[in-house]
Amino acid sequence: MSRRTPLIGPGSVLRLPSAKIAVVILAAVIFLSVFGTALAPQNPLTINANALYQGPSLQHLLGTDYLGRDVLSRLMAGAQLSVLTAFEAVGIGLGLGAPLGIATVFLGKWFDFAANRLADSLMTLPYIFFVVAVTAALGNGLVQAMFAVGILLYPGFFRITRAATLEFARAQYVEAAELLGASKLHVIRVHLVRKVLPTMAVTTASFTAAALLAVSFLTFLGIGVQPPAPTWGGVLSSDLNYLSQAPWAPLIPGALIAITVGALNALADAFRDRTGPGTLLVADPVIKTHSTLEVLEAAGDRQSAA
Amino acid sequence: MAVIELTSVAGAITPRRRRARTAAGRIGGGIAVLLPIVVLSSFITYSLGALSNSNPAATILGQDAATPAAVAHLDKVLGLDKPLVVQYWDWLTQALHGNLGVSYFTQIPVSQSIAQRLPVDLSIAITAVVLAVLIGGTAGTVAAIRRGGWFDRGVTMVCSVVTTLPAFVVGIILVVLFAVAAHLLPAEGYVGPSGGLWPWFEHIILPSLALALQVAADIARQLRTSLVSVLEQDYITGARVRGLPYRRILLRHALRNASGPALTILGNDFPIMLSGAVAAEVVFSLPGLGQLILESAQTRDIPVVQGVLLVVATFVVVVNLVVNTLLNLLYRTNDGIGA
Repeated sequence: MSRRTPLIGPGSVLRLPSAKIAVVILAAVIFLSVFGTALAPQNPLTINANALYQGPSLQHLLGTDYLGRDVLSRLMAGAQLSVLTAFEAVGIGLGLGAPLGIATVFLGKWFDFAANRLADSLMTLPYIFFVVAVTAALGNGLVQAMFAVGILLYPGFFRITRAATLEFARAQYVEAAELLGASKLHVIRVHLVRKVLPTMAVTTASFTAAALLAVSFLTFLGIGVQPPAPTWGGVLSSDLNYLSQAPWAPLIPGALIAITVGALNALADAFRDRTGPGTLLVADPVIKTHSTLEVLEAAGDRQSAA
Repeated sequence: MAVIELTSVAGAITPRRRRARTAAGRIGGGIAVLLPIVVLSSFITYSLGALSNSNPAATILGQDAATPAAVAHLDKVLGLDKPLVVQYWDWLTQALHGNLGVSYFTQIPVSQSIAQRLPVDLSIAITAVVLAVLIGGTAGTVAAIRRGGWFDRGVTMVCSVVTTLPAFVVGIILVVLFAVAAHLLPAEGYVGPSGGLWPWFEHIILPSLALALQVAADIARQLRTSLVSVLEQDYITGARVRGLPYRRILLRHALRNASGPALTILGNDFPIMLSGAVAAEVVFSLPGLGQLILESAQTRDIPVVQGVLLVVATFVVVVNLVVNTLLNLLYRTNDGIGA
């Protein structure tokens, strides 16, 4: 069992149509974040006083903003900062939470207690307040802000990894391996990491979505970015001030954020569906065969009719 | 029918006193569990200030007056020369007496500024919880009863769309729909309840709705899932066989047992709602705690930042305590579904 393929391969996940669409969208977003600045049709910072609040046209495919800047170019150039810092936060959360979550199962009661209470206390801090406090302390930059978001992702990663590890650490083959004299490191490396990976994949996908929402919210609030620099949240925030002139403007950056987040959630769901029942929370199917209750109801109706 | 009524009444009275006693014990136990969490999270909050290598004394004195001697003197007055743990302890004991220090710049007591802003966030947070429970609870229940029908599919679809929309985007959409396009409700500002109930409600309904939608979606999804599995339990079938009306089975038997996980979701989502409240404050220009911490962070007014963070963290802890207590009351025999 231990040497065979992991519980789910990327192939079986990709067979789901929703996962295929999600992967295409995410690939496009990552492509944008790498090449967006270079490919932007116009300079995202160029101000044009003769073309304020323009609707979509051939020259400006998504229109212009309150300074006449090309919205499409701003969104393309803005992808980089948003996506990269989301990865930063998830990387920090995963790097702190997953190893600790596995280790805590083996390091004894006191370590477990301490790591759990740390997770509990971090969970009492609403993220935006904590992030703002961190930027007040460490300086106002998106890297600092997303570092704080990463710290707040630690409890989630930690708890989920810990729960998954606990489940497998009690398995008989782990006990057998320990009796045969396998070291703890060997057990973790060979038997546990592989089993915990699908859970981690689901968590990472949905937490990346959360991190992306966090970046867009922070940039919307103007935390960590200097004004002319384009970001998705920043485009939204400037649109907010000119709603009466261009009420349709927030739709585009809003949809961009929603579609990316939706794709990440869909990918997480696909991973979840492909994992065997019992390992992860399995969604309840929408359509089921008749339950006893419905049969009874039908019987009652027939009786009252007769 | 009468027999069933009798047994259920007789069964309810005797354990009630025992239940009350265990509930009190559980609340006490809950506080004991929460105490280290409160201490740790307040320590994290306090040490953030120490982490900042800003020099408060120099900031307060200004560039010209900040001679080394003056800075050292002010450090002593502010207690900044003591070890971090001692500073933290002083701060915490003062905080328990309602004293969160004074702003570095305005000299206004932090607790006073917070008390001024708190009603705004309380108004929208409480209204949002009520809206989320009403909308999410109704949608989840109807979807579970009409499982597989068009309403159920609709709820599932709307829920997955809503969870991808952050509160500030929902807020902007609401402003565009109800204030810019329809002129039905004001787009910004806050009026206290003392200024009349309708003006107050008119100003908080859109921000509350912006916060509530995501939580409502979470509640609807969770309630639907757990209600579907509860409705398949034998005791529900048994109640049907005994001829109890469906409404009564649903409200008394099924919903009571199915609402636990949804309640847990509400507790878990509360910190997210507080973050969403900041979004609503910005979108709707409400003078709340979020604006306070944002302004203070810009000027690095550390006591205000620490005070706000402590207050919101305390809120989260209290809400969790309430949710846990309710859950314990709900599951007096601990065989509920998915708890």
